[in-house]
Amino acid sequence: MKRSKMMELGVGLFMLAGILGLVFLGLRVSGLTFTPPGDTFTLEANFSNIGGLKPRARVTMAGVNVGRVSAIELDTDWYDARVVMELDGELEGRLSRDTTAAILTSGLLGEQYVGLSVGGDPETLADGDSIRDTQSALVLEELIQQFVSNMVSD
Amino acid sequence: MIRQLTALGRRGCEVLEALGRAGMFLAQSSLGVPSREGVYLWLRQMHFVGVLSLAIVLVSGLFIGMVLALQGYTILVDFGAEQALGQMVALSLLRELSPVVAALLFAGRAGSALTAEIGLMKATEQLTSMEMIGVDPLRRIVAPRLWAGFVALPLLTIGFSVVGIYGGYLVGVEWLGVFDGSYWGNMQSSVDFIADVGNGMVKSLVFALVVTWIAVFQGYDLIPTSEGISRATTRTVVYSSLAVLGLDFVLTAVMFGGLS
Amino acid sequence: MSDSPFVVIDGLHFSRGDKDIFRGVSLTIPRGKITAIMGPSGTGKTTLLKLIGGQLTPEAGRVCIDGQEVHALSRKALFRLRRRMGMLFQSGALFSDLSVFENVAFPLRVHTDLPESMVRDLVLMKLEAVGLRGARSLMPSELSGGMTRRVALARALALDPELILYDEPFVGQDPISMGVLVQLIKRVNEALGLTAVVVSHDIKETLSIADYVYVIADGQVMAHGTPATLDVDQDPRVSQFVHGEPDGPVPFHYPAPDFRHDMLDAGGVR
Repeated sequence: MKRSKMMELGVGLFMLAGILGLVFLGLRVSGLTFTPPGDTFTLEANFSNIGGLKPRARVTMAGVNVGRVSAIELDTDWYDARVVMELDGELEGRLSRDTTAAILTSGLLGEQYVGLSVGGDPETLADGDSIRDTQSALVLEELIQQFVSNMVSD
Repeated sequence: MIRQLTALGRRGCEVLEALGRAGMFLAQSSLGVPSREGVYLWLRQMHFVGVLSLAIVLVSGLFIGMVLALQGYTILVDFGAEQALGQMVALSLLRELSPVVAALLFAGRAGSALTAEIGLMKATEQLTSMEMIGVDPLRRIVAPRLWAGFVALPLLTIGFSVVGIYGGYLVGVEWLGVFDGSYWGNMQSSVDFIADVGNGMVKSLVFALVVTWIAVFQGYDLIPTSEGISRATTRTVVYSSLAVLGLDFVLTAVMFGGLS
Repeated sequence: MSDSPFVVIDGLHFSRGDKDIFRGVSLTIPRGKITAIMGPSGTGKTTLLKLIGGQLTPEAGRVCIDGQEVHALSRKALFRLRRRMGMLFQSGALFSDLSVFENVAFPLRVHTDLPESMVRDLVLMKLEAVGLRGARSLMPSELSGGMTRRVALARALALDPELILYDEPFVGQDPISMGVLVQLIKRVNEALGLTAVVVSHDIKETLSIADYVYVIADGQVMAHGTPATLDVDQDPRVSQFVHGEPDGPVPFHYPAPDFRHDMLDAGGVR
C-alpha cells in the first residue's frame, strides 16, 4: 500500500499546485485585488461623443486609477452618450459638484479612458449623481478636417 | 450517381449512429453518485492522466513562453513598445495557447493511452468478464477516467500558463532587458481575471470533456483486435486534435469576437 | 421444483451482419449437472454463452434462467441475476491491474460488505481449491496460461454461483494443465453441486466429464444425448465430429470453384 500513498500524495500535490497556479494568475498576472463588495458608488456623465470608449475602461484622477466604466448607453432625451462609472467608495462625498470628466487617450494610439478632475464647489457629488461638465473624445478625423478648413480659409 | 448518393446517405447514418452511441455512453458513464471506492479509482486515474502528463506540459509551456517573448520582442521593439511584452505574452497564453496546446499534448500523452488501455481490456475480455461479475464497466472503468481527464486538463492548463509567463519573463526581462516593472505592470493592467483567465479556463474545461470523451469512447467502441486498437489510438489523436482546434475557433468567436 | 431445468433456451435466432448464427436453437440445461455444448469452430458457441449471460440480445426466441427471462429483465435485475452466475473466459480475462489475490477478491468486494479478514479467508480458500494459494501476490502478467485459467476459475467461484459457464476451458493448454483443469471442473462440480455449461471442441476431455452433450452445427442443434449414446450415433456428421475425422459431411474445403478450373483460368482477375 506504500505505492498508493505516494500516488495519493502526488495527486494531492498536483491539485494544490493547480490551485496555487490559479491564485498566481489571479494576483500576479491579472492584478486582482480583493475589494469588499459594496465599496463602490456610481456616477453618470453625458458626453456628446465618446469616440472609442469601451465598457470596463479605466477611470482615473490625476493619472491614478479610481474606478471603471460599467455601462455606456444612448440617452434618447438628448441623443448623446450616457456613461455610467463605478468609483472607489472612499471618494464618495469627496468630489465637488463641478468636477469635470474628459475622455482621454493614452498615447497616440492607446486605449481611451475617462479622466476626472475636481473643481472648487463646496457641494459634493453623491451616489447616482451626474457630472455636468464633460469634454468629449477627440476624434482624429474632425481634428484633421478642422485643420484643413483653417488652412483653406487662411 | 444514385449509388454514390446511397453511399453518402449510409455514411451519414453511420456517423449519426456513432454520435448517438457516444452520447448515450457519456450520459451512462458520467452520471451517478460516486462511491468511496469510486473516489479511489478516480485518484488513481488522476495520477495517471494528470501527474504523469505534468512534465511534458510544463516543459512545453516554458518553451512556448520563451519563444513568444523572443518573437514578440523583435516585433514590438520596432514600434518602441517592448514594454507591452508582458501583456502580449500573458494574453496570448491565457486566451489561446495554453488551453489549445495543453489539450493537444494531453490528447497525445493521456488520450491515446486511455484508448489503448481500455481497448486492451476489451480485447482481453476484461470488460465482458466484469459485466458478468455484475459490475458495470461504464461505472467502474470509464467513469473514473472521464472525470479524471475533466479535472486534470484544466489544472495542466493553469500550469502551462504559469510556466509560460515565467518563461516569457526569463527571456524578456532577464535576457533581453525589458524593465521588469513594465513587464508585470502592463500585464496586470491589461489582463482581466474573468474575461481572460476565466474564459481560458472555460475553453480548457470544454476541451477536457471533448478529448477525454473521444479517447474513452474510442477505446470502448473499438474492434478488439491489435489492428483495431492501433487504429482507434490514431483516431483518438486525430479526432481530438481536430475537435480542439475547431471548437477553439467557435469558442473564441463567442468569447472574444464580439458576437453576441 | 429442483428437478426443473435451470436454463431453458427456446427457439433462439441470432445473426451477425448477413450471417445467421442461430436458426432456432432450443435446449435445456439440467440442474446440478455438467452440460457440454460442442460443435465445430465458428458455430457461435461463445455467442451462445453471451446470449445466456444477457450480453447479447437474440432476434427471436428466449432464454430463461431459473424461471426468469433474461432479455426481459431491467439492467439492474440483470446484474442481480449475473451475481448467481460465474463465467470462465477463454483468455481468463483477469484484471491486469490487480494482483491474483485482488482479482479473486474483486466479486466479494463489490457485492458483499464482508470484513477484510473474512474476504481474505474466502479468497485463500478458493485459491487453495485451484492450488494457487502460493501465487496470491503475483500479477496476471506473471502467470502461465494454465495458471491464469485456474485463477479465473477461482474468481468465477468466489461468490459461490449456482450456474457456471466455461468458454473453451481446454483450448491452448499443454496436456498436464489440461488434465488439471478437467479434474478441477469435475471436482468443483461434484463438491458444490453447480449447474455447469462447458462450451468446447476438445472432444475427448469434454466427453469425459459431461453428463449430457449438445452438438451444434449450422445454427441448429444437430444431435444431443449422453456421451455414450453420441459415441455410437449413426448420423455421419455427428460421427465425423465425435471421432474427429478430417473430411466428411463437414467439408475440409472452404466453398470454392472447381480447383482445376480455377488454376487454368489464368485470364481472370485473381
